[in-house]
Amino acid sequence: MFSKGNIVTYVIAFLFILALNFFLPRMMPGDPLMAIYGDEALIAMTPELKAELVERFALDQPLWQQLGAYFGALFQGELGHSYYYNAPVLPVILGRLPWTLLLVGSSLVLSTVLGITLGIESGWRRGSKTDRSMLAGLMGLNGFPDFFLGMLLLIAFGVTWGIFPLAGALTPYSGLSGLALLLDILRHLFLPVAALTLAHLAGGYLLTRNTMITVLKEPYMLTAKAKGLSQRVLKYRHAGRNSMLPVVTQTGIWMGRVVTGALFVELVFAYPGVGYLTYEALLARDYPIIQGVFLMVAVSVLVINFLIDLSYPKLDPRVSYAY
Amino acid sequence: MLEIKDLRVSYGQDVVLNGIDLELKSGETLAIVGESGTGKTTLGLSIMRLVEGTVRGTIRFNGKDLLTLSDNEMQQIRWSQIAMVFQNANNVLNPIYTVLNQIMEPMIEHGLKSKKEAQDRAAELLGYFGLPQNRFTAYPHQLSGGEQQKVLLAMAMANDPELLILDEPLSSLDAAARAEVGNLIRETDKHCAKLLATHDLDTVSKLADRMAVLYGGKIIEAGPSQDVLSRPRHPYTRALIRAYPNMTTVKDLQGIKGQMARPVSGCPFHPRCTQAIDICRTEVPKLVWNQGRHIACHRGGIITLLSTKNLTKCFGSLKAIESVSLHIEAGETLSLVGQTGSGKTTLAKTIMGLHQPTEGDVYLEGAKVDSRGRDFYKRVQMVFQNPGESLSHRLSVLEAVVEPLDIQEIGTDEERKEKARQVLGEVELPRTNDFLSKYPHQLSGGEMQRVAIARALVLDPALLIADEPTAFLDASIQAKILKLLLNLQEQRGLSMLYITHDIAAARKVSDRIAIMLNGKIIEEGSSNEIVAAPKQGYTRSLLRAASTLRSTKSTIDEGD
Amino acid sequence: MHIDLKKEIKESGPGKIGIIILLLMIAVALLAPVLARYDPYQQSTASLLSPSWNHWLGTNHVGQDVWSRLVFGARTSLLVGFGVGILSTLLGTIFGVSAALVGGLYEKVVMRIVDAFIVIPMVIIVILISAYIRPSILTLILLLSLLSWQGGARIMRAQALSLKERGHVAAARSFGAHHFYIAWRHIVPDLGPILLVDFIYSVRRAVFMEAGLAFLGITDPTVVSWGMMMRDALSFSYLNVWQWWLVPTGVALSLTIIGLTFVGHAAEPVIEPRLRGAEVA
Repeated sequence: MFSKGNIVTYVIAFLFILALNFFLPRMMPGDPLMAIYGDEALIAMTPELKAELVERFALDQPLWQQLGAYFGALFQGELGHSYYYNAPVLPVILGRLPWTLLLVGSSLVLSTVLGITLGIESGWRRGSKTDRSMLAGLMGLNGFPDFFLGMLLLIAFGVTWGIFPLAGALTPYSGLSGLALLLDILRHLFLPVAALTLAHLAGGYLLTRNTMITVLKEPYMLTAKAKGLSQRVLKYRHAGRNSMLPVVTQTGIWMGRVVTGALFVELVFAYPGVGYLTYEALLARDYPIIQGVFLMVAVSVLVINFLIDLSYPKLDPRVSYAY
Repeated sequence: MLEIKDLRVSYGQDVVLNGIDLELKSGETLAIVGESGTGKTTLGLSIMRLVEGTVRGTIRFNGKDLLTLSDNEMQQIRWSQIAMVFQNANNVLNPIYTVLNQIMEPMIEHGLKSKKEAQDRAAELLGYFGLPQNRFTAYPHQLSGGEQQKVLLAMAMANDPELLILDEPLSSLDAAARAEVGNLIRETDKHCAKLLATHDLDTVSKLADRMAVLYGGKIIEAGPSQDVLSRPRHPYTRALIRAYPNMTTVKDLQGIKGQMARPVSGCPFHPRCTQAIDICRTEVPKLVWNQGRHIACHRGGIITLLSTKNLTKCFGSLKAIESVSLHIEAGETLSLVGQTGSGKTTLAKTIMGLHQPTEGDVYLEGAKVDSRGRDFYKRVQMVFQNPGESLSHRLSVLEAVVEPLDIQEIGTDEERKEKARQVLGEVELPRTNDFLSKYPHQLSGGEMQRVAIARALVLDPALLIADEPTAFLDASIQAKILKLLLNLQEQRGLSMLYITHDIAAARKVSDRIAIMLNGKIIEEGSSNEIVAAPKQGYTRSLLRAASTLRSTKSTIDEGD
Repeated sequence: MHIDLKKEIKESGPGKIGIIILLLMIAVALLAPVLARYDPYQQSTASLLSPSWNHWLGTNHVGQDVWSRLVFGARTSLLVGFGVGILSTLLGTIFGVSAALVGGLYEKVVMRIVDAFIVIPMVIIVILISAYIRPSILTLILLLSLLSWQGGARIMRAQALSLKERGHVAAARSFGAHHFYIAWRHIVPDLGPILLVDFIYSVRRAVFMEAGLAFLGITDPTVVSWGMMMRDALSFSYLNVWQWWLVPTGVALSLTIIGLTFVGHAAEPVIEPRLRGAEVA
């Protein structure tokens, strides 16, 4: 279904992202520096800083030279300068990255694994009460936006019952270490991960279930049953493994959704990741941060998609490469 | 070891198997023969209890009734005691695991071997079945059809089952692979009983000790394969063999009239049968043991339509025919081959009652024929050598054809005319009024003979005696007449006594051949046997003298 | 290939529920001026009131009537949803079918672009652009459509490719028909059911997006939106105003999306007949 590993596609996507990043501020009316940094920034900047930035990004030069400067800076890992944090963009983002990785990583893994498992079980029992209720339930769950789920969980478990903390990734100034620190992090992580996982569970579930339904009709399932294999083996080794394949292809696309979902969830729980950073930057019109995040996220998603494409033939021996 | 009693399988309203009785002994190979859709696969699947529909009856395996076992117990039996080689289609093997892995799987899952042992044994099996070593870790889609079949075989044998069910194991293979795989199946594990489901008679003859023919959800004939194949006793089995192109049969291919459809009552084959009687339409025949064979037919199998016992006719001191005992079965063609003066025509005429026999008797459907009245002639008709003479030059086509009906006072004028039109259509002549009013001298030799045949058909006889029907015709017309006779046999289930001097032609139209010399039958047998392995010297000389297109300088000779 | 979409949906339990929900929402959106009791934008000093006879769902932090904002919010969601749905399905069909019919370099270029866009997360781009330009409803619809037609294009192209090989298309070509005629008379009509499913899912995605973007605060603040209402409610999670402010809004949003999901799911067997079966009440 997905075009397998075609580099050209990814190159085009990458170029598009770069182009967007480059041209958007420069197409705004008025002073390019203002467009890039926003008026509030300009007010806060010193004239020396302004001059330095103009020079570094060749903002008074013709467009093509600006392009050169832009790429030059990019390859040096220079993503711009944030006026708000008064620091280069890249370190700021990197500082927040681990929390987002933790959040997104756990949610992606959990929702995929759980989704696939539920999908297999549901597809296996197709038509039964369990299946129908799971289907209806998950489709219902799917309708809840991640931020709404997050808010419901926050209010229920955080505010009303006080089981989980209301904000942040860890208790500040607690001086915890080792196991206690780990538990503290997990306590803070729990609700955001729960929200994000629940919101994206249905994707994997539905796809797996659908594939399972078609797989169960294949001749090799009868062969497997004839071999006297147990239900468990039939369900997982034969049907399940075959049903997983489309999900793996889709994981790349879903990752994009989970990442953007993280943005909303971090906002609801004030979780100090890249998402929250972006939100703050949006409020403060800190364009360099926004652009920096955009670039990083888009590129990461592309890279991961590409890697998944590469690994697909290992899972499905019927597929071969066509570069 | 395996005993099936009254197995009935249906999917909703659709009855696939309607009371199957079978027995299989350990080490034996039994073939279930049937055309597509007859339920052979369903039979195999129901033994393994993999059928989705309703299953009733008993399937006794080593004393236990498989249909009463719990799912768990059945699961244990599957692939450890009973295994199946599925028909090789796309995706019968799981595409994401290597073939070696898939063979190891049942060994490990049934707790019979450790992983290492399983791997060794699986490799051993694959090697035995002829898969090259570098293909062991291939995936199913990377293998050819023949290789996949070998994998399926190796996989089935993984746990040394006692019973192996094979569903069309050779039909997806080309000729060379067929021979190879066929051998493998035959040689594998002589202790393992095999149930083979196939429509291919070649497979049956090569692999099966016994065969059972399936039609309409019932077994209609069963017995040792070579016996059944060389001497089928159920009309369907015979027709099946006649329709199967093979190197043994010399008679031309014939089909079966009608189509496979389940009649509402009675014997499932009766709409297409050459010898159906009233009871066949109402009652289902049971499978009974009858002279070395299981047969399900109200008439006990193919009946003998006509037989003679020690028939002798003398003209004064000349013994034209002497002690002739032969029989003609319903729906078959017996050729009487002999030179001029051998007595062939005398025999025919004696049977017809145109000569009175000096000694001996003629029996029609088991009853002795003393006098030949209308009833006899309704059943036996004759076509003479010379149509120019046998058709009166005074009668038009119509008049000639309806003459038997006139004589027997059957039907009204209109009905007779309609019947005439019908038989003329059957012999592929025009039915127009124009043609009906033609006279013999206006017709060609071939047309005249067709009219004669039509006339012989008009009483709907069971036996047609054709005395050198093509003697006065050109070769190309001869071919058409012979083909016509074969078609008529196929359509009407006609029996034929075909009299000729030409053994080459005879073998093309006959199931059996009788050689006549000086008034005696010196040899008789199925046409393949007579042609391939004649016992009498005279027969051999006849064969040698028969028309051939090979030069006489060739050292390979027919019949020697 | 005679497919009865209406029958598919009618026979599916969730499908029926979905249709009912959607019709309900559409009705609410259309009747908003009638159903609302106050001007949704009118602020007052009566802020954070509990539900009462006057204010069925109480008031928000600037004294606006929550119920009125709720019903008008339906308009926004459905407008954006259906707007994007129509536009993106249209674009997807045009590009997908044309790519299939014309083939050659055109097809290659179009499909490369399509694939490239599918990989990029749409939301991020919209956030980026919205940071610079505050999009009005119309701009938003345009933007979202431009970024979401690609998914449908792939499906349309695949379908068009197989339909292209059908007998009646070949016949039309032999009469000298142009691509456009073939597309219009022979291909698009058979695409009907798939178009509908694609449309439904596009609408769903757009409703989701609009709410999310409004929640982030980057859409037009002069328009009432459920997402924006939830954003405002977030700061007041500590008070029990969430019961009548957050929850009904979130539920309304979720129901709309669920309704669309159900209908889309019921229509799916139309494309993939093997999914059909005993799975609904």
